[in-house]
Amino acid sequence: MNLPEWLLGLLVLALLAWYLSFSAARIDRLHHRVEGGRSALDAQLVRRAEAAVELAGSGALDPASGLLVAGAATDALDAGELADAGTPPPTHAGEPSRETAESDLSHALQLALDPDLVTAMREDPIGAALLERLRASCHRVQLARRFHNDAVTDATRVRAKPIARWARLAGRAQAPQTFEMDDEPPVALTR
Amino acid sequence: MRVGVVCPYSFDVPGGVQFHVRDLAEHLIGRGHEVSVLAPADDDTPVPAYVVPAGRAVPVPYNGSVARLNFGPVSAGRVRKWLGEGGFDVLHIHEPITPSLSILALWQATGPIVATFHTSTLRSRAMQAAYPVMRPSLEKISARIAVSEDARQTVTTHIGGDAVVIPNGVYVDVFARAEPAPLWQGTADAPTIAFVGRLDEPRKGLHVLCDAVPQVLRSVPGARFLIAGRGDVDAARERLDPTARAACTFLGEVSDHDKAALLRSVDVYVAPQTGGESFGIVLVEAMSAGATVLASDLDAFRRVLDDGALGVLFAVGDGAGLADSLLALLADPARRARLRAAAGVAVRRYDWSVVGAEVLEVFETVSYGAQSVAEDPQSGRFARWRRP
Repeated sequence: MNLPEWLLGLLVLALLAWYLSFSAARIDRLHHRVEGGRSALDAQLVRRAEAAVELAGSGALDPASGLLVAGAATDALDAGELADAGTPPPTHAGEPSRETAESDLSHALQLALDPDLVTAMREDPIGAALLERLRASCHRVQLARRFHNDAVTDATRVRAKPIARWARLAGRAQAPQTFEMDDEPPVALTR
Repeated sequence: MRVGVVCPYSFDVPGGVQFHVRDLAEHLIGRGHEVSVLAPADDDTPVPAYVVPAGRAVPVPYNGSVARLNFGPVSAGRVRKWLGEGGFDVLHIHEPITPSLSILALWQATGPIVATFHTSTLRSRAMQAAYPVMRPSLEKISARIAVSEDARQTVTTHIGGDAVVIPNGVYVDVFARAEPAPLWQGTADAPTIAFVGRLDEPRKGLHVLCDAVPQVLRSVPGARFLIAGRGDVDAARERLDPTARAACTFLGEVSDHDKAALLRSVDVYVAPQTGGESFGIVLVEAMSAGATVLASDLDAFRRVLDDGALGVLFAVGDGAGLADSLLALLADPARRARLRAAAGVAVRRYDWSVVGAEVLEVFETVSYGAQSVAEDPQSGRFARWRRP
């Protein structure tokens, strides 16, 4: 079977067009996945910080630990609000970036929740509820961050394909960034 | 009088609060009082005889940098033991709203309690979040001292109530009688200008001074800038204009003795800080040593310099303004002499003999007829659940 050359050319063009539109849709879908993952992560980070604020104000911690946790948690909330407003991350000391602020909160919770305290708190129904809320939110932060970063990795890989770069399929959408933080939950809570 | 003093910050790290606590303790001991200072320190760290170590401080990210603080049940236990054994007539707590020993002591003590507020930058959101736990403790303070008008405003805005202003103290004569170092002394053609402060902390304003150096050198080619303070010297030198590098000498961190000698030797002391200053103790030290002070017009500095009667002010962060003011000062020795004379009288107000007496008056007022400091029976760990 001998196809005329013009038909062959048309076929190739059609195939190329289909592939381009397929890739564009794929990138678009991945971008949406990144956005979805990011807002889920945002929500979980805010929940975690709120649970930490509640712990700080509960009277369960000694006031020094309470103030430490309250400081870290409000810093995290502030950094989150700045990030939502689209303000570029501050560079000078005194106002940590959101990733630093969230890592600091993990660190502060780690230091404040020592095993004896957690054991004692679990015997009180209010204390147990506080800890459970915090534990759940720490775990969800871990999950949400992993899902978000997976989406970013996928999107970055597809955006890096020659066809995507050559045809500028990503348009003007910014390259997605992974969210890097220490999200280790307090050791005493995971026991 | 038996006085228990609590310092929230480790003595290993130099800082305004630590110096204040150390000097006040030594001054009170010199007046014949018994003083015990509880401060973060390892048990094997060498500390002055009047310091009781409260155990290892933990490095914690706090307020955008890493602070070494004590908290948690173990520290709380140490504080309780110290309070129990002390039998103090007065408890003097510094910087009570810090996640460290001060708030732990306040939480567990009852009796005549005096608190000194040093900072003018209070993290109000963090405080609000911890307020349910903090308020009952803060209510136990019988007298509040603020080290400056700015610190007092912070107290009134964020905590309510009022505070009496007693500035930080300086041993004026240590500076006034320091031996000048010939190497650091200026001449008419080659005046010397000093900066003291962390090199890599932007709010200390070294970059503002660096901006001004080339302009100063164009008019006074012989001027020498002596820069003292901790930080990365190579990085700081790198940021300097190439024409300015030869005129700047980096001294690194200087001892108290060398700092006094430096301030005693130079013609002008520059304080280009851009914010976060509550008082400005170095300005007083520089004035005590006889250096003319040129400072950014922060509220705190404006007050110390009496609106420019004791030193010269320039707009915060304005390198060109700094250079203009500095050149005007260097060209006018008579004006420098006038400022120096006025400052030499005014700094006596900050001498420990005056400041220490004021602090003692507060101690005597709150302890008059009162029981001595004791452990607060209500400070059990689960004493105050906030029921929803």
